[in-house]
Amino acid sequence: MSDTNDVDPERSVSGEYDLDAPPEKVWRAMTVPAIRERWLPGVVLSNPEPTETSVGRKVRYRMRDKDDSFGDSVVTFEVRPNGGGGATLRILHELRESRIVAPTPGPANRNRPPQMRAA
Amino acid sequence: MVANDVFKALADPTRRAIFEKLAEGGMNATALRDGMEISQPAVSQHLAVLRAAGLVREQRLGRFVNYEVDPNGVAGIGRWLERYRAYWPERVNDLRNVLKEMDQ
Repeated sequence: MSDTNDVDPERSVSGEYDLDAPPEKVWRAMTVPAIRERWLPGVVLSNPEPTETSVGRKVRYRMRDKDDSFGDSVVTFEVRPNGGGGATLRILHELRESRIVAPTPGPANRNRPPQMRAA
Repeated sequence: MVANDVFKALADPTRRAIFEKLAEGGMNATALRDGMEISQPAVSQHLAVLRAAGLVREQRLGRFVNYEVDPNGVAGIGRWLERYRAYWPERVNDLRNVLKEMDQ
């Protein structure tokens, strides 16, 4: 479930956004908690630490629905240069089976230790 | 077919009203009946149909049974998608403003 190949389009929301800022700057906004907090408040995250990080390219957080009616979901931010000096941000938000143990091991039920932030 | 079950389950106006009430928040059968002219057995029957269609699920809390929209059912997922399709563009708008205010 960790690769975009396995994404279930009926249980996910995705979008690509062109941003007028270099990828490194967008990356900092994704990963430095004090900056991230200003556009993606920690209250929506079930853990403010990313569950997966590929430095400079991809970061993944677990999210918890604010009224907790859907259980956990996972959001992946991918940042890449857009060729014009800015960045393209891809957001993939996947709903995980709530309160049901996934049949196959995957990020949704893996208890990783928090990773070091690189930004 | 699942979609057909869902359609049938919601085609009945009383059942649809029950489902819409539960969509606002989970509750037990007594609270559900409140304000509706419907007998307890009829409510139970409607809930059974909604459960069979995967729209509603029950949760036992001690002696009480709570009913709620099944978050993994078609309608639950539909609500989730609707919420987050609107949510991310708003977050990205905030992100754009943050990027403007950030130092290089």
